Amino acid sequence: MPRKTIRICTGLLFAIAFTAQAEQFDYPETNPFMATVAGTPNELKVPVPDEVDVQQGDLAVRVLPDRKLPPALSNYRDLHFRVAWHDEPAPLIFLIAGTGSGYDSSRMDYLKRLFWQAGMHVIVLSSPTNHDFIAAASNSGMPGMGAEDARDLHTAMSMALDKAQDEKGFEVTEYRLAGFSLGALNAAFVAELDTHLGQFNFSKVLLLNPPVDLYASVGRLDDLSYTRIPGVSDNDSFYEHIFQKLSRHFAQRGNSDIQANLFYEIQNSPEALSDPELAMLVGAVFRFSAADLSFMSDLINHGGRYVPADKELKVSTSLTPYLRRALFCDFSCYINTQLWPAWEALNAGRTIDEMAYETSLRSLQAFLHDSPNIAAVSNADDLILTQNDYRFLADTFGERAYLYPHGGHGGNLDYPQVAERYMDFLQGDAQ
Amino acid sequence: MNPVYWISGLFGCIFFTGTVLADAPNEYVNYSDSGHELDFPAYHDPLDELDIDKSETRYQFERSSLRALNVQDPLEGMNRRIYRFNAQFDQHVYLPVVRTYVWATPKVARKGVSNFFNNLKDIPHLGNSLLQGKFQRSAETTARLLFNSILGIGGIFDVANSMGLPQQPEDFGQTLGVYGVPPGPYLVIPFLGPSSLRDGTGKVVDWAIEDNVNYMNNRDFMNDYQATWGIWAIDLRYQTPFRYGALDSPFEYDQVRYLYTKLREFQVDN
Repeated sequence: MPRKTIRICTGLLFAIAFTAQAEQFDYPETNPFMATVAGTPNELKVPVPDEVDVQQGDLAVRVLPDRKLPPALSNYRDLHFRVAWHDEPAPLIFLIAGTGSGYDSSRMDYLKRLFWQAGMHVIVLSSPTNHDFIAAASNSGMPGMGAEDARDLHTAMSMALDKAQDEKGFEVTEYRLAGFSLGALNAAFVAELDTHLGQFNFSKVLLLNPPVDLYASVGRLDDLSYTRIPGVSDNDSFYEHIFQKLSRHFAQRGNSDIQANLFYEIQNSPEALSDPELAMLVGAVFRFSAADLSFMSDLINHGGRYVPADKELKVSTSLTPYLRRALFCDFSCYINTQLWPAWEALNAGRTIDEMAYETSLRSLQAFLHDSPNIAAVSNADDLILTQNDYRFLADTFGERAYLYPHGGHGGNLDYPQVAERYMDFLQGDAQ
Repeated sequence: MNPVYWISGLFGCIFFTGTVLADAPNEYVNYSDSGHELDFPAYHDPLDELDIDKSETRYQFERSSLRALNVQDPLEGMNRRIYRFNAQFDQHVYLPVVRTYVWATPKVARKGVSNFFNNLKDIPHLGNSLLQGKFQRSAETTARLLFNSILGIGGIFDVANSMGLPQQPEDFGQTLGVYGVPPGPYLVIPFLGPSSLRDGTGKVVDWAIEDNVNYMNNRDFMNDYQATWGIWAIDLRYQTPFRYGALDSPFEYDQVRYLYTKLREFQVDN
């Protein structure tokens, strides 16, 4: 009897131990805020080549010939993008940046090198919500609608590809598509659009930390900027609070030589930033993006919200007064005061929830569920997802939902266990 | 045989599996199209632990950011023009030259060049550490100068850094700051970028210190071989990580102005 029990017991233990072993996820940063802000520690990242060793260049195309921009913003007349290419024929992947980031952001540069290293040509584009894209390539000048942004992106992609092939003369064997964060939602809409246009026929589409319901996700990010921080009263500046921490850290450390891993050093010191402080940092960065977006969109549409319609912005004109005003508009404010009135004017009688649905992945549910060439990567603690959003990803993508227990918003994308799996998907034969 | 063993065995078994199960995350089970089970890690909402202000007067972000925009900048119009000029010079001339330099030379050579010029800068660093009464730092910088100039062959190798003596920059702008001189109006200097009246003046003084000390006769040598000034200028940009456009904002000028001002406050305090 006891022997039998022991045998069953050991068997059971082994079975559990084995599954635990097989499924074990060992990404070291379990704090979602830390992961979001700092990503994977350098020594644990998938190694990629140095920037100087990548065959790459920045190019520009004029997407909207009729767009008028004031001198202060004249460098955004052309849409700039980055291309990394190989001399041999290879698959080309388009990569779309996340909310308020450009084609040259460090996350894009990392992914670019990862894809390039795996043998792909890469074209990186700014997010349609980034100020340069709004100015140079957004027809409405008012990004945030899934289908319209997809049309703008699709056009920009075609033009960028022509330009890159003209200038660099590389050959493309097939097309792939990837996006991060809002760029992932954009990628899903572009992929769907392309099935009607039949231009790229993407062999693989990779959604890295997509939002599901865009407006809900930006609401969550807005919320981060309202985080209450112990020790910061109603009269204190949050930035001063952070700088004081840094200052105390350096005073204690004795010299001010700034190391590459400064952030980890601080997080291991008594002056480590707390979760509310990290959350506020993420929220603040996002609020600045929202201010940029609201300002640019209003300027292109001559809304007069910030810059009077008859005022010309010269190179020497101070933009500070406009930034002061735009800072008050968070992303939800942009949706409610700019996007919604414009949409309502064209869709009389419909509700804001219907507008939100049209720009959520839910409106593409059948397409995403039935397309074996589309996969999504996300985390159970991604800041931008609600529980329902998370379930939507699991239900819709099933085996193609690569969901990890922790990593915050995109913190583990450069971690081997995560990156190898999505790279296998991109490179694999399964269509 | 003995029921006690049996029961204790069972207990142990439950206890062990219980522990193991408790460690495993509470997973969200789903089914694939082909019907087999898919395990997903359980969702957890990071925002739950935060105290999010829902009041009408939740202005923490606005209050902090508006204050950050209060920088004394009476010459803003001119500064913005120079800022734009610098950005274009950087994009069309400076960076392409630096890229060619990177393409044409091995990393170890570039490192040697940077070390060499950095070693020369330890002369004003030392002078300013002394002026600020930072005697330990002065001693460390003196040691750096000796080790690097002798063992590091005229500064080509930063041996002091490997010995635990990292470079500790101190410029005359900081020295003035330590004695209570305010930064004064913000200035954007052609080619060099963000500065202030105080720090711009400091740069001139530091330059004069380097000129007068003429450490290892470097100034004489560089004036005799003018091409070395070109290398100096290329290395200056090579060592500066800042890229125009990297802040991804139409308000880059405002953000750089704030960050520069904070950085300098910070350097004066440390």
